[in-house]
Amino acid sequence: MSNIPTNPADRLLFELSKPGRRCVTFPKLDVPEVDIADALKGAKLRKEPARLPEIGELDLVRHFKNLADKNYSVDKNFYPLGSCTMKYNPKINVTLLAQAGYTKAHPYLPEQDVQGHLELMWNLENYLREVSGLDEVTLQPAAGAHGELTGVMCIKAYFEAKGEGDQRTEFLIPSAAHGTNPATAAMAGFKAVTLKEAANGNIDIEELKKKVGPQTAGMMITNPSTLGILEPKMREIAEVLHGVGAQLYMDGANMNAISGIVQPGDYGIDVMHFNLHKTFSVPHGGGGPGAGPIAVRKHLAPFLPTPRIKKNGDGSFAYDYDRPDTVGKVRSFFGNFGALVMAYIYMTQLGREGVRRMSENAVLGANYIRVMLRDYYHVHHDRTNAHEVVFTDKKQDKENGVHTLDIAKRLIDYGIHPMTVYFPLPQNTGGQGAMMVEPTETESKESIDYFIDCMKKIAQECKDNPDLVKSAPHTTPVKKVDEKTASTNPQLYCSMCLG
Amino acid sequence: MPFIQHTDEDRAAMLKAIGVKSIDDLYGDIPADIRVKPDGDRVKLNPSMGELEVTRHIQSLLKSTKNANDYAFFRGAGIYNHHVSTLADHIALYDGNFITAYTPYQPECSQGTLTTVFEFQSCITALTGFEVSNAGMYDGASALAEAVMMGYRLTADAFRKETRETVVLAGAIHPEYAATVKTYCETSGLKLVTVPAGKDGRVDADKLKAALTREASVVAIQSPNFYGVIEDVESLVKSTHDNEAMLVQVIAEAVSLSVLQTPAEAGVDICVGEGQSIGNHMFMGGPAFGFFASRKDNVRKMPGRIVSETTDRDGKRAYALALATREQHIRREKATSNICTNQALCALRALIQLAAWGKGGFVELGRQVVSKTQYAIKTLTAVNGVELAYPNQPVFNEFVIKTKPGLDKKLIQQGIMGGLPLDAVNMGSAGEYLVAITELTTKEDIDKYAAALA
Ligand SMILES: Cc1ncc(COP(=O)(O)O)c(C=O)c1O
Repeated sequence: MSNIPTNPADRLLFELSKPGRRCVTFPKLDVPEVDIADALKGAKLRKEPARLPEIGELDLVRHFKNLADKNYSVDKNFYPLGSCTMKYNPKINVTLLAQAGYTKAHPYLPEQDVQGHLELMWNLENYLREVSGLDEVTLQPAAGAHGELTGVMCIKAYFEAKGEGDQRTEFLIPSAAHGTNPATAAMAGFKAVTLKEAANGNIDIEELKKKVGPQTAGMMITNPSTLGILEPKMREIAEVLHGVGAQLYMDGANMNAISGIVQPGDYGIDVMHFNLHKTFSVPHGGGGPGAGPIAVRKHLAPFLPTPRIKKNGDGSFAYDYDRPDTVGKVRSFFGNFGALVMAYIYMTQLGREGVRRMSENAVLGANYIRVMLRDYYHVHHDRTNAHEVVFTDKKQDKENGVHTLDIAKRLIDYGIHPMTVYFPLPQNTGGQGAMMVEPTETESKESIDYFIDCMKKIAQECKDNPDLVKSAPHTTPVKKVDEKTASTNPQLYCSMCLG
Repeated sequence: MPFIQHTDEDRAAMLKAIGVKSIDDLYGDIPADIRVKPDGDRVKLNPSMGELEVTRHIQSLLKSTKNANDYAFFRGAGIYNHHVSTLADHIALYDGNFITAYTPYQPECSQGTLTTVFEFQSCITALTGFEVSNAGMYDGASALAEAVMMGYRLTADAFRKETRETVVLAGAIHPEYAATVKTYCETSGLKLVTVPAGKDGRVDADKLKAALTREASVVAIQSPNFYGVIEDVESLVKSTHDNEAMLVQVIAEAVSLSVLQTPAEAGVDICVGEGQSIGNHMFMGGPAFGFFASRKDNVRKMPGRIVSETTDRDGKRAYALALATREQHIRREKATSNICTNQALCALRALIQLAAWGKGGFVELGRQVVSKTQYAIKTLTAVNGVELAYPNQPVFNEFVIKTKPGLDKKLIQQGIMGGLPLDAVNMGSAGEYLVAITELTTKEDIDKYAAALA
């Protein structure tokens, strides 16, 4: 650690620490104080107290306030981070969640004490069943990737039950898929086989037919795809897979484009996950928590994690652990329940009409951006897109030597959070750096127009003053960060916290 | 429409710019026969509700619930009723700049989140003694499963010529954690061997030694274990290391780190745990977060996000995500894990809570918990017919009592949520209860519980 900054606002908590400072005090002990060493005889104790910071309350609040202000966030900035669906997170979600009925609910309370929570989960499962068009839902997975793993495990268990476990060893993954897809397949013990898309970005059915066979357990498809376009041949793809006895998994990260428009079950898919932290407005929290429920067709339902929620004949709700074929548990308890409550409040507010309007307006905004910027940036697939659009740096790279990362950083100077960059990978976007823009339905036309203007301005700057763009950002608390050294010479903790 | 700001004119202008007549025209790739009709005949959600109606609806759902505040509360078993500082709510829930940001991919406009993750890692380092902590996992159970996978990878790397695909789960491990590890092992083809706790509630050292064949790559233990008993971690490490395997310790009650020997000092290889106790509400068991720590030389095999200190172009201190070549977005099927979204906000809450307690407060918290636990043991076992299931074992905040079964209803009627009946979770016989104490448990609560058991 170098010198401690003179301005307290720039210090770490540990650097603000002074022996004897304190926020929390405890009530006077109402039982006899024991000698720890005596009470815990036979156990080894800490040699010294953990070196946590010692700090007063105002300094603590100010520290975090100063840090918060260094973030861009949906509350403060347009945040068109593709594939992440950075929509507005209604304040009511948090307010209603922060009640003792939720904050003080313990997972081992008896069923009669949690009827309202079970009912909420039951209702939410029904909502997702409706939106997916599939038969059963589990809310347990903690995030999209966790849902993927749970879904792929169900598929694996299904084949094992059929006696085809040893035979079905491969999962097909389109080359532009999100990294979690191949990582999930591998974690579940499958070989991830890459499927190259057709030139138009859609699944190449002929290629698919060549790759499937008795060894195929399934395919993970993202629809709309990570290239921001809808897959027109979903039913055919499902037929090809089912034709060889394999299963079709749909990555539902992009459900903000099609919720209430089409029920993916009608495509013939067998299982999908939702990212409630994208589509259904659970705040992203700087990286989580989210929730990644999965919906499955009947034949996969016996394998879902336990417990399931069931409704008794008298209208009461109960946990159902009697699921002999279950894959087991994928985490503790019932999922990220607090996140589920927020998604439920959101979906309840949207209702039937709202869910459809959500998707429609998300798709409208993204197409508008494509059309307005197509003369300024190369559109990877310049055709009707879904809720996001993928540009590349082809033009700026060739003409001005400016790249995706530079453009992204320059956006920060205009008060806009960068779009998703270099995903899909350059190999999927003609060797150029991708810029994936997802405005979401909650942004006003004025915000979208401002973004469009800024992107046009940056395109001009790339011509007139490329160095200005390449040295961006200029207005942030720190300038371009040396991310390479962070990995080659990692410094992962403050030296003041360890003896 | 809720949360959509476009006016009809806005929409018309955008459609015109795009060159289509209606939004429907943008969905040409969806076959007409499966498109949901706008009147909602297929998607049968409720009509939309405003703020007033949804509030009313949520309050009516909550009416049919009870929570820890309604009882003298003695349930824990992985989720603990600690006080959560209002600072954690104010900063993590109500300051939109933390809660409505994404994973800090762009460091220049995410220094807030990145700095807090670095500080969080530092706090986990302070608690565990390990030089490396990640930014958090989904929960304690999945963190343990991932730690077991990592331990396997480390052993497989070190002994390439051998097949060491057995994982040993030793002693009283939380049933939800054990079930999760089992699921992960089954799906990835690892063999799981379970060594149940001995009569004293601890890992049976002889049985563990017998299970430690050359195939074993990882031993997982919980300490304090599910019964509350503090294991002799050092000696378990020794038998594990004698067999050149990795020892993973999981901790369900993170507050125990205020008084117990650090896992690093005990020689543990990977330490994980459930972080709920620190600054996170109970929420029916989630969201909270799993913590994950290990030695520096293991960092490249770790799952999850990791933040490092670095500098900006001008040499100013800055923070950034680091070592991404372990992760799914770079390594795809070769990644150390598929985890992407984690539980960042819950980790932030823990950081705020730890800072609010501070060095002195954390120690005092631990002492209060130990004193109250000792008082509870004394008071409850003074009741005729109530005894400890595992007497003379060191415990931090939890212990198992044996009493006559079937008292639950009576206790609840008297406003007491007694310990967790262990037969209900297949971890003991009828009449055994796992009792949990926190700083919120009062003498009055304990006396009331004892009186009701009498
Ligand atoms: C297309 C796609 N699939 C899967 C995921 C993984 O979801 P999560 O981050 O919730 O694990 C993401 C988002 O990160 C995504 O964009």
